[in-house]
Amino acid sequence: MKRTLLIARREYVAYAKTVGFWLSLLAFPMFAVLGGGIPLLIRSAEPVKTVALVEESPAATGLAAEVRTALEEEKARLAEKVQEAAQKGQGAAGRAAASIAGPKMRLVEAPASITVAPAGPAREAALRETLDKAAPKDRRLDAVVFLNRVEGKPQAQVWTARTTDNDVEGFVRDALRRGYRDQALTAAGVAPALVEEIEAFKPEVKAFSPDAASGGEVSMRDRIPSFIGLGAGFLLWSLVITGASILLNSVMEEKSNKILEVLLSSASASEILTGKVLGVALLTLTVLAVWAGIGSSVLVSASPETAATIGQVLLDGGLVFYFIAYMVGGYLMYAVLFAAIGAFCETPRDAQTLMGPIMMILVVPILVMQMALTSPDAPVVKVLSWIPFFTPFLMSARAPSDPPLIEIVLTLVGMFATAVLMVWIAGRAFRAGALSDVKLSWKTFGRAVTGR
Amino acid sequence: MTAALTLEGVSKRYGGFDAVRDLSFEVPKGSICGFLGPNGAGKTSTLRMILGLQPATSGRIDILGAPNGRLVRDRLGFLPEERGLYKKMTPVEAIAFFGALKGVPMGEGKRRAKQLLEQQGLGAAQKKKMKELSKGMAQKVQLIAAVVHRPEFVILDEPFSGLDPMNQQGLEEMIRGLAAEGATVLFSTHVMQHAERLCDKVVLLARGRKAFEGSVDEAKATSPRFLDLDGAITPEAATALPGVAGVETLSDQDGVRRLKIALAAGAGGQETLKAAFLNGLDVRGFALKEPTLHDAFINLTGDNPDQALNRSEAGQ
Repeated sequence: MKRTLLIARREYVAYAKTVGFWLSLLAFPMFAVLGGGIPLLIRSAEPVKTVALVEESPAATGLAAEVRTALEEEKARLAEKVQEAAQKGQGAAGRAAASIAGPKMRLVEAPASITVAPAGPAREAALRETLDKAAPKDRRLDAVVFLNRVEGKPQAQVWTARTTDNDVEGFVRDALRRGYRDQALTAAGVAPALVEEIEAFKPEVKAFSPDAASGGEVSMRDRIPSFIGLGAGFLLWSLVITGASILLNSVMEEKSNKILEVLLSSASASEILTGKVLGVALLTLTVLAVWAGIGSSVLVSASPETAATIGQVLLDGGLVFYFIAYMVGGYLMYAVLFAAIGAFCETPRDAQTLMGPIMMILVVPILVMQMALTSPDAPVVKVLSWIPFFTPFLMSARAPSDPPLIEIVLTLVGMFATAVLMVWIAGRAFRAGALSDVKLSWKTFGRAVTGR
Repeated sequence: MTAALTLEGVSKRYGGFDAVRDLSFEVPKGSICGFLGPNGAGKTSTLRMILGLQPATSGRIDILGAPNGRLVRDRLGFLPEERGLYKKMTPVEAIAFFGALKGVPMGEGKRRAKQLLEQQGLGAAQKKKMKELSKGMAQKVQLIAAVVHRPEFVILDEPFSGLDPMNQQGLEEMIRGLAAEGATVLFSTHVMQHAERLCDKVVLLARGRKAFEGSVDEAKATSPRFLDLDGAITPEAATALPGVAGVETLSDQDGVRRLKIALAAGAGGQETLKAAFLNGLDVRGFALKEPTLHDAFINLTGDNPDQALNRSEAGQ
């Protein structure tokens, strides 16, 4: 036991002392923040477009005013959303998201050179000059919109400085469509006040389910468990794979540096294997603790209500304990297998023969887990969750949707029985591999396990 | 003298290949024993069986009173043929870690590590990372790591390989030091000179079988003495001389040869030399040579210890 702990300690310290470990540890939350924050930053950093509206003929009278009104209404609607987000306590991120959504444009008067010139080459020349990036800033426009009515229907030609810019086009289309609809309805005898009321109407739709916590109406509290399950499945998958890969690399390093044989003369194969598995498990728990710490701090500050609900969901029905059990079983199965493979290899290339198919199999739960979010009882999800190598990930994803207790118990038993079998197989293979110079293949691995 | 190690009829088979066959020998307590043979003779397999890293296919092993090296692990020190330590550890950390695995408290291990490193002239390297040390320095550190727990029995697999003459000499002194402190040392090598200088006893292994067990002098006594002759002498003419058991041409430059003449048992060499002069052979130089352990090995096994045997050791 003392030797096992010594090996575990060395394994832990060897990684925890490196800068790379802490960098990669913080990389995930950092990228998560960046992943959410960067689009907001990009959107908020976008310049406000200067757009001029030109009514091409008397028939187009009123179209510019429609577009202008639509822009003002949109800005007013966004201001309301920001206020709403602040009232709901959605935090800075929610307010920022609301504030940057919508069109970023400023409407200005069109220069005379464009309005005076008749349609044709002269006007196009004036347009090119105004939209040119080299034009002086105070005279440069980002877009010019020519509005017209043909047979009573609004039309527009949008000239933009960049071919890829379709924001103005989209906004003008919506504004004209709305204006035309209002006019058509009014012309048909519908009162303008009624049109406005119909537009502002938001039907109240409520979801009900006998499974809901309240016994009837479905709330956010009822939907959170599925997301937690999916999140836990993915987190478990990434932690198990990360831990097992660390172990694979660690054993390979010891094999290539010829340390394994010295270790074997000082401790038994099972002590070494257990020590290493334990050391990396502690390392993985450190990662989990740091991620959980950062995640919960961010969540509590951004949305305390959601944080409280998640905490409640995790504790209700012992969900957190299922997750722990699946993590232990999953880690054990894969960690010992990867360690045993590592004992035969000196370079990652040596390990490819076995690692390739194993990694391909490991993609399956990733694909199926997403299905578990919407259909946790789908036959494919149920069947695959009985396969011990998939159980930890798929049952984690299914656990919050209350699968039958018998399934939970039997899959747990199957998983732990397989884990014990894997420990036995890996122990034999580890000892044989550590002292062997043979090239790794399924055949040599099998021979090491069977002792032939 | 009591035996620290006894092997009786030990064999090791990998699939269809016999790596070690019916091997029996003893290593007396407190002695330095050389386990000699060319690469591929079965030395590493034997040492691994003694340590309990691999089971013997048949036979009996008794080490420090136990049937398996694993049962007396903390009383054994082992330096494997292919060596390595954790590259990012300092020598003190590495030695203390391996000492701790053998039951030496970490603090005490560090204290001993510093002391032993100082003794070996590695005081300045204490705080360097292992990867920054030269190969010779790293090997010394590894040997210290193997003996920091003061083992009763030290097993060294090809300890001299890869070392320059200076470091080889240093290692020889370390091995003598271990024996002087009462430890039993068993080391394998294919370089006979080291065994000749160090060993109280040698065990010669050829193709998995024991070819000889005894003292260095006893081994050498099994080999004939040699007479080297230089001159325009044909091997046939030399073979015809009295007391000659065999002739080997060491060099030949336009008919001027150096011949190594193996003398027959009991032949002193004077008669052979006298006959060479009387027969009018063109003797331009001569030297009478006592056999070396290397000669004894070739004589006993027919193998050259410097040449690796082409034995397929699948599974090893």
